[in-house]
Amino acid sequence: MIYEVKVNELAEEFGVHRNTIRNWINSGTLPAQEGPGRRYQIQWEDYKRLCNKYGRKPRISPQQNGTNESNPTRSNDATFTSVRLHPQANPLYTSPALADICLTCGSCAGACPISGVDDLDPRKIIRMAFLGMNEELLASDWPWKCTMCGKCETVCPMNVEILQLMRRIRSRRDRTKVPVAIQKGVVTCLEKGNNLGIPKDDFILLLKGLGEELAQSAYPDFVTPIDVRGARLLVTVNSKEPFAEPESLSWWWKIFHAAGESWTISSENWEGANWALFSGDYSAMRTIVKRIIENIERLNCQALLLPECGHAYYATRYALERWFPESLQQFKIYTVFDLLLEYVEEKRISLDPTLHNKLTTFHDACNYGRKSLKTFGHGYFEEARTLTRACCRNFVELASNREESYCCGAGGGAWASPFAAERVYHGRIKARQISDSGAKLVVTSCQNCKDQLGISLNREFNLDIEVQYLWELVANSLVKKEEPQS
Amino acid sequence: MPEELMIGAVMVIGGGISGMQAALDIADSGFFVYLVEKTGAIGGAMPQYNKVFPTNDCSMCIIAPKLVECGRHPNISIMTLSRVLDISGQAGNFTVRVQENPRYVDPGKCIACGQCSAHCPKSVDDSFNSNIAKRKAIYIKYPQAVPLKYQIDPEACLRLNQPGTCGICAEICPPGAINFDEQAKERDIRVGALVMALGFQTFDPTKGKVWGYGVYPNVITSLQFERYLAPNGPTDGILARPSDGKPVKKIAFLQCIGSRDKNHCNNEYCSAVCCMYAIKEAIMAKEVNPELDISIFYMDMRASGKEFDRYYEQARNEYGIKFIRSRIHGVEPRGNQGDLLLHYISPQGKQIEKTLDLVVLSVGLETPDSAVRLAEKIGIHMTPDRFASISAFMPVHTSKNGVFTCGAFNGPRDIPQAVIGGSAAAASVSALLAPVRHTRTRTLPPPVEQDVRLQEPRIGVFICHCGTNIAGVIDVEEVAAYAATLPQVVHVERNLFTCAQDTQDHMVQQIRESGINRIVVAACTPRTHEPLFRKTLKSAGINEYLIEMANIRNQNAWVHNQEPDTATRKAKDLVRMAVAKVATQTALKPLRIRIAPSALIIGGGVAGMTAALNLAHQGYQVHLVEKTAQLGGNALHLFQTWNGEHVPRFLQALGEEVRACFNIEVFYKTTVSAVTGHVGNFTTTLRTGQNRKHTIEHGTIIITTGAKRYIPEEFEYGKIPKVVASIEFDKLHMHNEIRVANGKSFVFIQCVGSRNQERPYCSKSCCTHSIQSAIKLKKEVPSRQIYILYREIRTYGQRERIYNQARELGIIFINYELHGPPKISQNDNGVLVEVWDHVLHRPLEIIADVVILAAATLASPEAVELANLFKLPLNADGFFQEAHAKLRPVEFNVDGIFVAGLAHYPKPLEESISQALAAAAKAGRLLARKEIALEPNTALVDLVRCDGCGLCIEVCPYQAIRLVEYENEAGLAVKTVAIDQVLCKGCGICQGTCPKRGVTVAGFTYDQIEAQIDAALCEALQPREPL
Repeated sequence: MIYEVKVNELAEEFGVHRNTIRNWINSGTLPAQEGPGRRYQIQWEDYKRLCNKYGRKPRISPQQNGTNESNPTRSNDATFTSVRLHPQANPLYTSPALADICLTCGSCAGACPISGVDDLDPRKIIRMAFLGMNEELLASDWPWKCTMCGKCETVCPMNVEILQLMRRIRSRRDRTKVPVAIQKGVVTCLEKGNNLGIPKDDFILLLKGLGEELAQSAYPDFVTPIDVRGARLLVTVNSKEPFAEPESLSWWWKIFHAAGESWTISSENWEGANWALFSGDYSAMRTIVKRIIENIERLNCQALLLPECGHAYYATRYALERWFPESLQQFKIYTVFDLLLEYVEEKRISLDPTLHNKLTTFHDACNYGRKSLKTFGHGYFEEARTLTRACCRNFVELASNREESYCCGAGGGAWASPFAAERVYHGRIKARQISDSGAKLVVTSCQNCKDQLGISLNREFNLDIEVQYLWELVANSLVKKEEPQS
Repeated sequence: MPEELMIGAVMVIGGGISGMQAALDIADSGFFVYLVEKTGAIGGAMPQYNKVFPTNDCSMCIIAPKLVECGRHPNISIMTLSRVLDISGQAGNFTVRVQENPRYVDPGKCIACGQCSAHCPKSVDDSFNSNIAKRKAIYIKYPQAVPLKYQIDPEACLRLNQPGTCGICAEICPPGAINFDEQAKERDIRVGALVMALGFQTFDPTKGKVWGYGVYPNVITSLQFERYLAPNGPTDGILARPSDGKPVKKIAFLQCIGSRDKNHCNNEYCSAVCCMYAIKEAIMAKEVNPELDISIFYMDMRASGKEFDRYYEQARNEYGIKFIRSRIHGVEPRGNQGDLLLHYISPQGKQIEKTLDLVVLSVGLETPDSAVRLAEKIGIHMTPDRFASISAFMPVHTSKNGVFTCGAFNGPRDIPQAVIGGSAAAASVSALLAPVRHTRTRTLPPPVEQDVRLQEPRIGVFICHCGTNIAGVIDVEEVAAYAATLPQVVHVERNLFTCAQDTQDHMVQQIRESGINRIVVAACTPRTHEPLFRKTLKSAGINEYLIEMANIRNQNAWVHNQEPDTATRKAKDLVRMAVAKVATQTALKPLRIRIAPSALIIGGGVAGMTAALNLAHQGYQVHLVEKTAQLGGNALHLFQTWNGEHVPRFLQALGEEVRACFNIEVFYKTTVSAVTGHVGNFTTTLRTGQNRKHTIEHGTIIITTGAKRYIPEEFEYGKIPKVVASIEFDKLHMHNEIRVANGKSFVFIQCVGSRNQERPYCSKSCCTHSIQSAIKLKKEVPSRQIYILYREIRTYGQRERIYNQARELGIIFINYELHGPPKISQNDNGVLVEVWDHVLHRPLEIIADVVILAAATLASPEAVELANLFKLPLNADGFFQEAHAKLRPVEFNVDGIFVAGLAHYPKPLEESISQALAAAAKAGRLLARKEIALEPNTALVDLVRCDGCGLCIEVCPYQAIRLVEYENEAGLAVKTVAIDQVLCKGCGICQGTCPKRGVTVAGFTYDQIEAQIDAALCEALQPREPL
């Protein structure tokens, strides 16, 4: 049987963009023959395979009763091997909150954008863990395709700790099976002090060079403060910035300069990101955070600024609360929101709202938003809006925002993982909501979100949007202070 | 407490259906009642509903007679706008401090003309209509409100908020009833007992942002949906999208909003009613528009009550309502035209997106904060779910002696449970205060009845709009104009609701003013409403039988709603016939008989013993008949209640108390073999163990004959010794038999023999029972693997707690509804159970050491004999069928006989006990009267025409007729029949059988029926000049 369909019909059916369908066809994910009337002819088997891959109910079926879902039964499908239930020798978890209390109501699976991919969803993951199907779980890629966005947890009526379970599953996987880029980042960070292994000399050279550029172009007295003892604020860096877009570092520097901040960057172990959160490597997570504490102590700083990256904040805060609770008394942790808002409120910087006139929206990064709310008791929702609105008057909310925000699709290490097709598919709801909102400037506060929205979804869904970091937006909106006449 | 300190008055706090029922039963049992209501009118939540499940009765219509009854009861004092501040004293003698807030309208003066409201300039959201409409600052809660007196909302009133402004109502009010200076008053009221019927509020879904309530206009609550559907609601029953008024095509109901949720709220319990009301609302919407696409998204359909599963199946199969087992995580907008998007996972695990016009949130029930505070103040214990803490053995007793509780304040429950609770509380109050019965009550002198025999008929015709129920179809003005042309009609009027309390007062006035001596009410059915209008006639000084009802609603407007013209014609026909009949009606005198002050209770289980003890404590003699040699019934097999109370200990104490009770005589190994008599005076023949006959006389009967258990034929029961039924398992478990002691893996299978084609009902207690056994097993040995294979977990209400506890302990629940029942086979290691998982959709294998079958509860086979003996109906499943599923849950249409416990339907222990108390309340209420009036609509013999042929004797189903011989004036022996006026039910079979017109039923005489037939046939009746 052949399914004859137009690209836009198929896009509508799968909730994705026409581009995604074309990509599937071009990449062979969906074998299709172009036919008359801009229609594609697809073998039903191929179509069904695609439906299965993305966990969707086929719209048509050879029996012509497409609306009825058939139930797998004992007789008609020998592919199902029985699972023998027995007590577990080495359970994945002990607390019943991780799976046992599940009502199997389906809320999580309904909320998860990649439910059905690989015929799995959060509810099935919980169920497999509950029934002790550990081997199968550890072998599955699904927990790595999951972006750990936590939408499932937010909707769970029983407060099942789905993310903790997912991290357990990730942490129990053989390290050689962890997606290569992530594992490599963690190992490199442990060995070299940053995820990308940038040597100390190169880093210092880069920082100094950038500082000189800034001095020439804008602030004549600017010198990059490396290893300055007694500075108030220790600034950590996401190694992606010096590696891929070094100029982005100077956005912060401009703001610091404008605010008259006393700050420094450590020449060693300056990494602010913490990919051990993605790989579920608790020991590495602890080590990386411990180094930050050591830097603070060494340089005698009073506060810590984490890079504009949701997981960096989440991982560091989580590690501090879990293993170093006393250090939370010793120094203050700043997120991008806290620090920028402090500057604005103390009138240390002023922002010009006339420079950005496009309709603007804010994309809540899961880690700063609902996950922080749940884990630490505060989500950075209103701060984000105060700051964005201070720079952009023309503001609109996405249909799902704040705690209910959809993940961009690149969280949980997905940007660095090999599951690009799923990542794009995951982002379809976000893309649709951005498109529906009419926003042309999307502000966000996370590296992964920015890359996914600005590079991946923008292209895939023809969004025609500009994406800025919050700190980028603020740096671009700074009102340069009149130098006082001496 | 010494009798002289006890007070024969009771305060009922809360004027909802449960409180009203308690008040009526207490007042009728000989105590004065203060009915304290916090709003301006009694009625509670019921008047807001469109219809009720599973009977689909109009909610307002069935509650209206009770409202009026409360309103005009001489021994009920309704205190509206009042709240209890404090309570002191002890059982038998409490002092209650009550604050009465100002109404600002003098109820003595207000004539409810509505002019104030019409002219009031201030509109606010109308909470009675769930804020989908506006009301004025001066208003009545709803058109049939009791008391029907306007009230001013002090928050909204312009004048009260800014003295010197507005005041239009005061200027315009014809009787000058408005008083802006009224102040709150505090009163101390002394009572012997209190009943807390504090009720519930619905969960406010704005608390959980995910559902979009308050953000997207097309997301509404179930209560709002009721108001949209209600013909008397603000939209006249027309359903349109709130956002744009466009027709609704696709609706989704989201279940468990504010229930079974510890994330978005703190309500871990199940609200017990939402599944059923969602089904009802869906059916109602489908009735209006069969094209609607309706989906109900749920977790477990908790249709565990009587006839509920049939209703559920009917909704699915006959109405085509879709039931999707998937809880919806949130609602999103789709586009900007008001459409809504649901993202969910199908039961088969596939992603689905569905676009809808309207999303209805099935909001749960919770105790209002004010009620929790009052409970704290009084010092009564509450459960963690914030309901009154009650023992299953004393289901209407709070932790404070003399303070009783009923309704949703005891935990979420439906109307019948609330009504049962109200009656049960009344029984407990009556037992406590029995020594001071009739010390505070008053009796009104009966109004002097006019003799109308010599008067020409002067007929008044009252035509009811029933909101829009009738007037929406039938042209009532035309019917009224036509009625005015009929012979002997002297007065015609139309009423919005003829059954409303103010209409009754108005009717009395009309009857007096226009010299009316008989009435026709063209409205609904005499079954529910004739008693109300009879009382009205009576208070107008007219014989209460000079009435005829024309049912232009149920038998006309409802069934012919698509043909208004024909319906109007039919209404005229019905009115014409009723007028013709009532013209020939004569005054009848009810038969007054003495009541034998004792009760017969059949069945010595917990229900029977509970009812017996209560009646005994109320001071009545009880004959308790038990067919076995032991009291206890089915409870002998039980070990604990759902919340862990020890049943054997309770049962032993109960049995001892019954045996020791002076007022109770227990007959063991005894059955009922024959019965004669009637309400108030039954004579029953018992057959005792030695096959001896024993005759007793009693005024009332309570049937508590219990039920029996199903012996499974499935799942290799009886073939594999490790497969046992749950009651057997409990015994093995108790004795730690080797299969249990060494068992490491246990599998429970639910719904064995229940909810199938043969028995399409839920046995109600098995989910709870299995979960409890599972918890016990797991707690004993935590390494045990325990599986419960189920179709729907029905741990309704606060029982949800043990379901949560079970999962927390690691008990594995597997739903076999989708993939079919498990397969059981013997295996080398044990019993192999094969079942498919409902989440993974994959086959699972369990090696079980014991398989426990949760076997169904079946109707007792003896029910058939008893039903024949007492002429009582049974439902299709063999359980006794009560008079009305909602409002008469323990009564039969045969007066003086009541039912409780498993004989009525499978239920857990506390519901049996509640129901037994309710039955005792009804029996006690009857016995308290000492004397009752019987319906005089009985058969009478015409001695001239009767030739004693005796044909009628054989056909009489009540054995009321016997052959007699007497000597006539000529000294000849003549045969004729004599009819026992008490036994006769007026069914009319004798009249239909008699070839000589020798017997006739009062109220249905040949003259009357012929007049009615003539009227029916003479369509072209000569109209005379209108009045």
